[in-house]
Amino acid sequence: MQRKARLVKAAATAAGLLSTTHVGAAPSPEPGFGLPRDVSEYGHHIDWLIEVTAVFTALLFVIMVIWMLWACLKHNEKHEADYDHGESKHSVKTALLLSAVIFFVVDGNLFYNSTTDVFRVFWNHDSVENNPQAVKIEINAHQWAWDARYAGPDGKFNTKDDIITLNDVRVPVGAPVLLQLVSPDVIHSFYLPNLRVKQDAMPGMINRLWFQAKQTGEYDIGCAQHCGVNHYKMKGTLTVLSPDEFKSWAADQSAIGARGYDPKDNEAHWGWEWRARN
Amino acid sequence: MEELQHIHPEPTSFIRKWVFSTDHKVIARQFLWAGLLFLAFGGGLAMLIRWQWAYPGEPVPAVGSLLFSGSGGSITPANYNSIFTMHGLIMIFFAITPIMIGAFGNFCIPLMIGARDMAFPKLNMLSFWTFLLSQCLVLASFFVQLGSGAAGWTTYPPLSTNVGTPGLGQTLVVAAIFVTGVATIMGGLNYVTTVVRLRAPGMTYARMPATVWGLWLTAILNVLFVPVLGSAALLLLLDRQFGTQFYVAGSSAVRGGGDPILFQHLFWIFGHPEVYILILPPWGFVTDLVSFFARKPAYWFKGSIFAMSAVTILSAVVYGHHMFVTGMNPMLGQSFMTLTLIISVPAELLFLNWLHTIWKGSIRLTVPMLFALGTIFVFGLGGLTGLFLGTISTDLYLHDTMFVVGHFHLTMAAAAFLGSFAAIYFWFPKMFGRNMNQTLGKWHFWFSAVFITLVFCGQLAAGYAGHQRRLFDPYQYTFLQHLHPLNRWTSYFAFLLGIGQLPFVYNFFRSVFMGTKAEMNPWEIGTLEWTLPSPPVHHNFDTIPTVHRGPHEFANPEVKKALGRDWIGQAEELPKTEKAPAKPAAAAGAS
Amino acid sequence: MGEILPYRPPRAREEWTAYLGMVIFLASWAMMFGSLFFAYGMVRARSNEWPPADLPSLPLVVPAINSVVLVLSSAVLQLVLVALRRGKAQFAGPGLGLTAVLGMVFLGLQITTWRSLFDDGLTPQGGPYASVFYTLTCFHALHVLVGILALGWLCRGALAGRYSAARFLPVRLWTLYWHFVGVVWLAMFVTVYVV
Repeated sequence: MQRKARLVKAAATAAGLLSTTHVGAAPSPEPGFGLPRDVSEYGHHIDWLIEVTAVFTALLFVIMVIWMLWACLKHNEKHEADYDHGESKHSVKTALLLSAVIFFVVDGNLFYNSTTDVFRVFWNHDSVENNPQAVKIEINAHQWAWDARYAGPDGKFNTKDDIITLNDVRVPVGAPVLLQLVSPDVIHSFYLPNLRVKQDAMPGMINRLWFQAKQTGEYDIGCAQHCGVNHYKMKGTLTVLSPDEFKSWAADQSAIGARGYDPKDNEAHWGWEWRARN
Repeated sequence: MEELQHIHPEPTSFIRKWVFSTDHKVIARQFLWAGLLFLAFGGGLAMLIRWQWAYPGEPVPAVGSLLFSGSGGSITPANYNSIFTMHGLIMIFFAITPIMIGAFGNFCIPLMIGARDMAFPKLNMLSFWTFLLSQCLVLASFFVQLGSGAAGWTTYPPLSTNVGTPGLGQTLVVAAIFVTGVATIMGGLNYVTTVVRLRAPGMTYARMPATVWGLWLTAILNVLFVPVLGSAALLLLLDRQFGTQFYVAGSSAVRGGGDPILFQHLFWIFGHPEVYILILPPWGFVTDLVSFFARKPAYWFKGSIFAMSAVTILSAVVYGHHMFVTGMNPMLGQSFMTLTLIISVPAELLFLNWLHTIWKGSIRLTVPMLFALGTIFVFGLGGLTGLFLGTISTDLYLHDTMFVVGHFHLTMAAAAFLGSFAAIYFWFPKMFGRNMNQTLGKWHFWFSAVFITLVFCGQLAAGYAGHQRRLFDPYQYTFLQHLHPLNRWTSYFAFLLGIGQLPFVYNFFRSVFMGTKAEMNPWEIGTLEWTLPSPPVHHNFDTIPTVHRGPHEFANPEVKKALGRDWIGQAEELPKTEKAPAKPAAAAGAS
Repeated sequence: MGEILPYRPPRAREEWTAYLGMVIFLASWAMMFGSLFFAYGMVRARSNEWPPADLPSLPLVVPAINSVVLVLSSAVLQLVLVALRRGKAQFAGPGLGLTAVLGMVFLGLQITTWRSLFDDGLTPQGGPYASVFYTLTCFHALHVLVGILALGWLCRGALAGRYSAARFLPVRLWTLYWHFVGVVWLAMFVTVYVV
């Protein structure tokens, strides 16, 4: 029974690979240094915050280095040291003021932007939960691969028409995608570098992650938590398709899944009832 | 004070003098040797990691056939996991801790506060031998069948339970962590009590050198938070050996199973204070050294003490920033983020004080000063990168990438490493009674500082591009393939960094045995240890001194007039009035 | 050394140092026990029902008796201190011995509790509920055992006349330890057995 399910799975994967239309056979390499391509709808918030903070911190660091170099060169042993304990009211006030300014500008900017971005977007799973357009996927992260399950036309998980893939997550462009992550063994972390998000798959818990892609193509899925010997090989592919391609792929996969469905194969029923938390 | 510290007769037998000694100065040297040995060991492991990332799968030159004979000299994925795990654990617990806290805590504290020894000398000796036992357990773990620990230094379950990582190796490693924790607590207890009880008359807390402050605050953190690691480790050992279910979850769970996140909480409640434990002594060293070698008082010393104390107090409440992507409640995440951003303020203040100290000083670029300035440089860089990681939204992308690795290497490894060398070069004359070669020291500094910066900036760059950590072969991922040259160059710099330590090794060994005899006060510093012969006698002080002033009394015009030099000892009598009025505010605000 | 030592008030400088050492020592243990209580809290908060329906519930009577036993023993020990301070060193030996015996009674009762729960089906391998229970109580019991051994050693010394009004530092230190162990028990009694 289990062998049959596995053969079907393999066939499904092969069919899936064959049915990719005009996407490449693999993600395309990243050019140059710096942040990888951003193909997400909201990732630019993170990119912006990283880049702005990088400018601030680079500036502070450069000022510090110039200060130190200047002091070492100009205030060397030939220079007479200033007898100053720095404890005057003026000195203390200046030090505190300087610290405060740096804090409120740099840290303040980080705080404000992260708070709004996280609560409005990245950890706002409930808004996606209630979005009828959202594509819901259950991910079973295990040593050392990603199983993905879609509910299929009946909208229920762990049923006959579920789409089950291995290391292969396909989503339509422009629609929010909501993932529930579990793990039966050790901690893994579902990581989408080109969408700037990750979340741990924690044994004993169901974690959520959502994203929305704005460009078709193939992108890496990585594991970002040390999970054993083959942690480095735990890679998947995120394929972003046009809405029509996605619909036809989903329909095909669902049919394949239904044909190979074996109600007695417990191992294949790793899915769970979707937990919409509110 | 005299009645509290009787002068005991000196031990005569070799065993009592050099092996089972209760003399804090001997124990300090014992910790230093043990720590330096494991520093070399941990460094070697780092070289293996860098080899694998430069030339994945290729046989390691020279040592490959010896170490990895089963796989033709190349590192296997299982080996690799052990290597990075043990690199982290060894560096943190068995190298930096014994050097900075074991060696310099022991050496500096009694001498700098004017005491004859620690409050509990026998406990001190016991702490060293307990530590040595833990080092033996670590070594033993390499020789068992399934290899040493392999779950990362963070030892997260369920991977670290016997479900994820079976075998005696991981168990021995967890046991070693527990035992070294015991040694640390013993030492911490001693340091805290000694500073509270055995300060010489006149040595108020405000007059203690920053070195003692750093080591004392570290000891307080050790005493309070290493027990938390102890429980985390204990529960893990129970899960591994006795079938309990604290952390086991998923399909191996019994009756609902345990909670892997429990371990993360306990670990990081220890873990975050631990990073402050590792940085407070270098902060102390730097605060003192920049004053000593700019020949200028430490700027707003009370502010620096306040900053170090504030960091100490806040250290435990920021720990959640290590757990942002575990699925935590957003409000909880918000609190941790806020506190983490706040804890950056005292650190900023410390930097401002250091920069103000050297400004308008009379800087001597001695080897300790170079290392102190280097510490400021790398910690500045590393500390700033922490801001990205303490903020939730940016951390979503950067968590568990090489950016984290670059960050903590710059702040924890580089700063502690350079700070330790600053301490070694500075106190070597007093510890061993001989001088180190200063020219070799300068080469050692430049080599180390330059390559440290390059290596860890290389890691930051990789992480910025999304490169995860702990990957045996990163180039399985398409989005990382273009980073192979970056990784290779980072590895080259790492190898050069390793080679750059050779002048130090040669210098250290040669100087210990054949260095020129050191004077009493070669650096012309006013703290109490420089009033004693190099090295000091067994009981340190013939008479316990009375302290009149702080440790950074430089460039005082009254002193210049009375004594003809720019410094005065803490216990020295000044012919006229002791304190000159500070110069008017015009000079004080110079920046 | 043979000479008569002058009476020193209890807060003599050396004693303060040792006392501080003991306080810090206990602070470390407090943090360790605190972590175990934290673990207990997390495990319990996560679970749907506590105790799990099919596992034996914890007894209340014997642990309550144990609480009384420990409180009593702390009281006895405190009286020993008072006696020593007032120069009545002859009560020290018997007092210390009685405290140690009460400690052994505690351990004995604890062992019977474990035995009966074990027989009823609660084994350390029986999931998180059992894990937490056995770990907390065993760890505490180990501390009681160490305390009993220390008290026994002190008792021997007291009976040999080692302690007097002028010097009884070890008794002071271990009294603090014993009170600590008692407080941890009470916290455990309330959070594990009662609530």
